[in-house]
Amino acid sequence: MRILVPFAALVVLASTASAQHQHAKPGAAPEAFTAAPAFAADGTLWLVRPMVDRVAVLRSSDLGKTFSSPVMVTPEPMNLDWGPDARARIAVDPKGGLVVTFGIFQDKNFNGRAFYARSTDGGVTFTRPRPITADGTSQRFETAAVDPSGRVFATWLDKRNVAKARAAGKTYAGAALAYAWEDGEADFGPTSIALDNTCECCRLGVAFAGAARPAVVFRNIFPGSVRDHGVITFRDPATPGPVQRVSVDDWKIEACPHHGPSLAIAPDGSYHVAWFTDGAARKGLFYARADSADAAYSAPRPLSKPDRQPSRPYLLANGPALHLVWKEFDGNKVVVRWQVSHDSGRNWSDARTVAETEDASDHPLLVADRLHTYLSWLTKNEGYRLIPLGDQP
Amino acid sequence: MRLSILIALLVALASLGTAQAGEPQPFERGSWAKLRAGHAGQPTVIHLWGLTCGPCLVELPHWGELSARRPDLKLVLVAADPLPQDPERVAATLAKAGLGSSESWSFTDRFYERLRYEIDPAWAGELPRTVMIDRDGKATVLAGVADLSQVQAWLDAQAKPSH
Repeated sequence: MRILVPFAALVVLASTASAQHQHAKPGAAPEAFTAAPAFAADGTLWLVRPMVDRVAVLRSSDLGKTFSSPVMVTPEPMNLDWGPDARARIAVDPKGGLVVTFGIFQDKNFNGRAFYARSTDGGVTFTRPRPITADGTSQRFETAAVDPSGRVFATWLDKRNVAKARAAGKTYAGAALAYAWEDGEADFGPTSIALDNTCECCRLGVAFAGAARPAVVFRNIFPGSVRDHGVITFRDPATPGPVQRVSVDDWKIEACPHHGPSLAIAPDGSYHVAWFTDGAARKGLFYARADSADAAYSAPRPLSKPDRQPSRPYLLANGPALHLVWKEFDGNKVVVRWQVSHDSGRNWSDARTVAETEDASDHPLLVADRLHTYLSWLTKNEGYRLIPLGDQP
Repeated sequence: MRLSILIALLVALASLGTAQAGEPQPFERGSWAKLRAGHAGQPTVIHLWGLTCGPCLVELPHWGELSARRPDLKLVLVAADPLPQDPERVAATLAKAGLGSSESWSFTDRFYERLRYEIDPAWAGELPRTVMIDRDGKATVLAGVADLSQVQAWLDAQAKPSH
């Protein structure tokens, strides 16, 4: 029998552990504060949460009202990546198998190592976490997603070519966009580099244009150290297509925005991207659409105003509806704003506040269970919330 | 009542235990106004950096050199990492860059939206960032790695009598 405990209790437990940790040495050990959801076909909600130095998976059969006791994916304490754009993630394959990915820091210079673990018994046990790739240089911002045929695709930012360039006395800007496909349920196959010289510190967005055709949105480094966004769509599992630039924001910066984009592909094949920029051409949070992988993107549409710190956009296509959320700050509260479109992103409902908080918060995420779409949000004051969005505002 | 006394004692003990020379002042709600008030009427350069920002760490020693060369530079360093960092590491990193004696602050609140908002509502947290404030309180922002020749030109302009 499963022991069900209210999630609030877990949050209290986790923050007590954290507080003790911090009392020993204030600020000495930053901790990840994230929760990532995934629905299984049977309506089970899976949640992955770092808890200080462990990665835990919890399940809920009542849409997040109560959760099972956490199952630890990491048998031993690990130095988890707590970067503001890093996140442990969970994906469910068509057979109900679970894939958890997470990153650790290898050293004080933020060199990372990406791990994954599998469960084929409904989350009762997980395989011992294994590195996604054999190369030990540095990987961060790993993301795994299940393609429409059920195959697991993983992509991340990889620094192996930085090390190679250095060894040859050359410079290398940024990192490389790397990927691998799961080979059965045993392991990930060989790593390939899709593109060199991407920005090194922003989360990636993944969607599928079809079976074996992942599309990845990322902050790229365009000539002149301009850190604007690009999308790569794979032609087949081993052939990444060219970089389709989302917009010319002209953000020339030698710095770390730690603020990555989001991508959705609608059933009509249209692409939808939301992103943050502080470029010479525009500043703030933006959305644009393209009719297809090869089509040009529409003029960027601003979301909110720059003086409200709009941030962390997230897009999800679910049936005929395209959902968009982001968070912003009104001077006192952080609010999550939501818009929905029913015509492939051409027209959007007025932005509406669907959740708010008065302290620290994770990125707002979207997750779908059949035709129901939910906001998934972890906040310090309220703990974890799964908030139904409906189809119409 | 008792609980609050206990908490106050614990906080006092905790701060006793960690207060060491060179450690940054905690940057929390209201700190920006305090920092500004402490430099009112005095041209001041506030450099926002972070332990988690690679380009910042490359840039810091240049600020150390400039600081040594220009005694008229009133430099304040604010470690604005989105997650509060170990104060000892903040202090050690600054000392290594030749900035051990500069005024230093470090974000201590994970609700960074509020801290950023107090500094500049339109700042989304990108680092590094430099805010130069003249004696009239007028702020000039340099986003990203600063061109130190611009900082020197600004310092030169502050030295001229205003009219």
